[in-house]
Amino acid sequence: MKLGYLRINQFKQFRQAIEIKDFDPGLNLFCGPNESGKSTVAAAIRAAFFERHRSSSVDDLRPWGDSGAAPEVELEFDHDGLTCRVKKRFLARKRCDLTIGTETLSGDEAEDRLAAMLGFQFPSRGASKSEYWGIPGLLWIEQGSGHELRSAVEFAGDHLKSVLGATLGQVTSSRGDEVLSRVESERAELLTPTGKPRGRYKEALEQVDILSQTLAELDERVERYRQQVDRFSDLTAQQRLDEVERPWQELRDQQAAAEVKFAQVQQLGELQARDEQALLKCRHHLQVVVEQLRGFQTQAEELAQRKNTRDALQRQAQELTAQQLIVKEMLTQAVKAYDTARANDRASRQQARRRDLEHKRQSMIDRHLQLTAACDQATTLDALLQEQKRTLATTQLDEKQLATLQRLGSALRDLEIRQQSIATLLAFELTSGPRLLLDGEVLTGQGERRLLKKTELHIEGIGKLSIAPGGQDLTELARQLERAREQLASALETAQVRDIAQAVQRAEDSRTLRTDISGNERMLALHAPQGIAALRQEIALLNEQIQQADADMQAQPPTTASAESLSPEQADQQLELASTALQEAELTERQLQEGLIQCQQALNTAQTECQQLEARLASPERQQQERDCNETLTVLRHEQSQLEQALAQRAELIETARPDILQQDIKRFQASAAQLELANQQRKEELIRLQSQLQAQDADGLEERQGKAATELGAQRRRLEQFEQRAQALSLLAGLLHDKRQALTRQLQAPLQKHLNHYLQLLFPQAVLEVDENLVPGQLVRAGQERGDFDLLSFGAREQMGLISRLAYADLLKEAGRPTLIILDDALVHSDPHRFAQMKRILFDAAQRHQILLFSCHPGNWRDMGVALREIDSLRTWKTRIVGG
Amino acid sequence: MPRFLHTADWQIGRQYDRFGPEDGPVLAEARLSTVERIARLASEQGVDAVLVAGDVFDAQTVSDRTIRRLFMAMQGYAGPWIMIPGNHDAALAESVWTRARRLEAIPANVHVLLAPQVLMLAEQGMAILPAPLTQRHTYSDLTDWFDHAETPPELLRVGIAHGSIQGILAEDIDSPNPIAPDRVARANLDYLALGDWHGCKQIDARTWYSGTPEQDRFKSNGAGRLLDVTIERPGCEPQVTTVAIGQFPWLQWEQQLDMPSDLDLFIEHLQQLTQSSVLSIALSGHLDLAGEQRLHQALSKAEALHRYLEYDFHDLRLYPTEEDIAGLHADGYLGEVVEELRQAQEGEAAGTAREALVILTGLLRDRQDNGEAQ
Repeated sequence: MKLGYLRINQFKQFRQAIEIKDFDPGLNLFCGPNESGKSTVAAAIRAAFFERHRSSSVDDLRPWGDSGAAPEVELEFDHDGLTCRVKKRFLARKRCDLTIGTETLSGDEAEDRLAAMLGFQFPSRGASKSEYWGIPGLLWIEQGSGHELRSAVEFAGDHLKSVLGATLGQVTSSRGDEVLSRVESERAELLTPTGKPRGRYKEALEQVDILSQTLAELDERVERYRQQVDRFSDLTAQQRLDEVERPWQELRDQQAAAEVKFAQVQQLGELQARDEQALLKCRHHLQVVVEQLRGFQTQAEELAQRKNTRDALQRQAQELTAQQLIVKEMLTQAVKAYDTARANDRASRQQARRRDLEHKRQSMIDRHLQLTAACDQATTLDALLQEQKRTLATTQLDEKQLATLQRLGSALRDLEIRQQSIATLLAFELTSGPRLLLDGEVLTGQGERRLLKKTELHIEGIGKLSIAPGGQDLTELARQLERAREQLASALETAQVRDIAQAVQRAEDSRTLRTDISGNERMLALHAPQGIAALRQEIALLNEQIQQADADMQAQPPTTASAESLSPEQADQQLELASTALQEAELTERQLQEGLIQCQQALNTAQTECQQLEARLASPERQQQERDCNETLTVLRHEQSQLEQALAQRAELIETARPDILQQDIKRFQASAAQLELANQQRKEELIRLQSQLQAQDADGLEERQGKAATELGAQRRRLEQFEQRAQALSLLAGLLHDKRQALTRQLQAPLQKHLNHYLQLLFPQAVLEVDENLVPGQLVRAGQERGDFDLLSFGAREQMGLISRLAYADLLKEAGRPTLIILDDALVHSDPHRFAQMKRILFDAAQRHQILLFSCHPGNWRDMGVALREIDSLRTWKTRIVGG
Repeated sequence: MPRFLHTADWQIGRQYDRFGPEDGPVLAEARLSTVERIARLASEQGVDAVLVAGDVFDAQTVSDRTIRRLFMAMQGYAGPWIMIPGNHDAALAESVWTRARRLEAIPANVHVLLAPQVLMLAEQGMAILPAPLTQRHTYSDLTDWFDHAETPPELLRVGIAHGSIQGILAEDIDSPNPIAPDRVARANLDYLALGDWHGCKQIDARTWYSGTPEQDRFKSNGAGRLLDVTIERPGCEPQVTTVAIGQFPWLQWEQQLDMPSDLDLFIEHLQQLTQSSVLSIALSGHLDLAGEQRLHQALSKAEALHRYLEYDFHDLRLYPTEEDIAGLHADGYLGEVVEELRQAQEGEAAGTAREALVILTGLLRDRQDNGEAQ
């Protein structure tokens, strides 16, 4: 289908007619700003086809505000080698004319023909709506709806399918879908969508479970019952055997035998005890006799011993007597030694006293000499002292007097100095010439004079000069001087000295003399501390003492020569030793004496005892007693050995019989018998219990019920198997039908897919856009990316895919010989530059096969499409020109 | 000339788990009615005794009602019934027999021999030597004592036992309750009535297994009978006649269907079977859709006639022909599905594939029928 001519008049934006003549068989670009009338052109084409010319619902086709206008569209196109011309006027002077080649149609007929030719429908009333637009609705994209594809495809669905059907031939099954839905509904009765049993199938499954459980319970009960029967049988047999054999009876017999045996052994034990008692008594008696005999024996031994003692004592007494003599001699010696020592001691003492006296006398003589010398010294010193003291008394000038003198001298001197200082000084240096007399004194040479009073200077030959010193003090001073000189002279006289220097000398001498006196006094005190008189008295006393000592010395006895060598200490020591030796000798003598006396006494006693004992042992009663004892001993020993033998034999008997084990046997047999009887009793009870239990269960008809349960279970199982089989078969069948149907659909979609991929490769190399059974693009699979659902793609991508899909449909329709005009109103506004460039290549490619009308308000975007851009406004200009022309 | 019936393995109280709660009880009931028929037969024939060689009851714990019903069923014959317990109803300390005694359900003419002691039936001219089982299984020959048992010379020596004659079954089968094969000779018996094997089997001239009178499994040859035994006098060879007494034969058929004619033959065979039976059919080979339909019709009819019918199509394949598919209008991908299922029958899940194919063709056929109806 190729549009060749379009004229629009009194239509929406175009109050005046516009005409487009030279349509390109491929791409036609119309540009213009908003509101310039691009969409009006597209709307006019739509109206020419979709709207009934008679329709009264198309007021919107009129130019705004022009209620009298009659919108008119006229177009011309080629299709199938024929030129078709359509002319439609709406709302006023409504008319529709169609010329196809030479055929002319008008009114509804013309419109229906157009609808069949292009593949759309008219609504029964009112304005046309998108759901009636069919194939043109798919290929003529309105502004802003490029991304909406699904509904457009659905509205075109029947037309598309009929086109495809015609292309591929009638390969679909006439009844496939119906069969599939029946199979699926039957499957759904047995299985859930996920393949789990449901409904009757599930019930059968549950039933099998329940029955299996019931059967298992019954099986278990039957098994238990059988075990009980077996037990019952075993117990019955055992019980019967017990009743026949009575096994506990045998044990009772064994017990009785053991008891008899045990009693015998016990009797033996009693006998043994009695004999043991007798043996004990016998042994006791024997011991007594033996002890008696031993007593006799002991007495004899005692006698012998006593005799020995007596003899020993006798020997001892003799020895002691001999010793006594020696000891007495030793004592005499000791007494003598003692006496000698005592004499020595006395002599040495006398000697010592004499020496002592002599020593005392000598020391007194020495003292006497000493004292006499001291007395002489002291007498001399005393005389000297007396002399010195007298001298001192005459010359003495005390310090106070001296000080007064010195003060007076000093005051005088001060006054003289003052006088000198205030005196008038007369200095002179005279050469020979007239003599000068000064108050009487000739002055020569050079010198000076102090003038204290009116003085006359007399110069020879010249006259006289009177010089009166100034100041009244001078006279006062002279008087003071006079008084001081008098005072001093008086003091000197009192002190009996010529001048002060003599006074000082005299004071010095006094001091020296006093020092000497004091030194001499100390010397005297040394020689005679208590005075010279005391000293002389002491000397006299000493003289008396010396005389007394001499008398004492005379009274002393003369000394012996032997005692001369011994010191008193040595003598004393010797005396001590001798004394000790004497004491020891005396003690020894005394002890020996006592020992001798004791020995004598003991000897006497021993002799007496020996005699007594000898007498007793020799008595006839005593002899008889001993004989009796010996006889009794023999008898008892015999009796003992007999008893011992009997006891040993019996003990062996008892040992062999093992009464302890016998007792155990009795217990064992007794317990065993009791045990068996108890077991018997218990078994009897268990039997009764079992029997009643079994009888109770018998009535249940257990195995019959088991059989019935098994029957039911078997039936249910077969039923379940049938369900399983059927479910499996239905699943298989549904799957197969589904797969086949899908394969077929894919086969139908193949050409569309081919065209889609043709364009898609330009946009996304190696991508695939899958088409669902309704021929709507479903999923976009791009290399290296997840598959994306068409509806979830971005707005831009959806628009691109929408356009690609439409171009593919167009290719498909063209192959089927259907008209394909593509109108794009403001397409691809949401594409990025890269995609947009690719889409332009796609559009250009499509334009090789289809006529495309593209309206855009972005002329710059479409300059590279190889065709001229038409300005809508220029159409108006053209129109004006036409009108004008 | 003593004459008696020899039967065994009544297995009263038996439940059939493979038949379900509907058919199972009927088959169980049939065992009681067979006993009634035996009693009737004994009465009509005027035999001297009826010997039941063990396994009278199927289990020890059948219900009291079952016990009573059995002895009621036996009322039809007033002569002596001689019974021994078998492995299913062994004379245990507590057993179905002690219970029957307690219930006082056993009539006076029924001799339940629970101990190995000779029973003298002087009037009938027979001495019965029983070998009752007192345990479920024994591994010694309970008939040993027959050898030394003394009986009056004028009476028949008739042994009655329950177990396996040694040397008949394969060596590797460890059959309990053994019975020496030469027991008759060694014990000088006139007849040895045996139970345990459910098929009727003669061991020698004097030794017989009667088999069960009412069949209860598919694999037992000659079941559903009893033996009518006549012995002129002691030492004479017994005259043994088998009498069919069972109600339901148990049949197990296996059929290979390769050619259309195979199916024709099978259906004919099925139609010829007029006695109500317990039938187990296993089919293999393959069928087309038409054949499958015919088979189902035939089986539906047979199901109505017979007591129980089970079939196993595990090895049967469904191969729709081109015409079948065309006839079903399985065009488009449905045709492909049919073909795929057809081929899948050669694989592991053959059964599922066949079932799926049956469902699919069924759906298509239904729809077609509806379409035609419209």
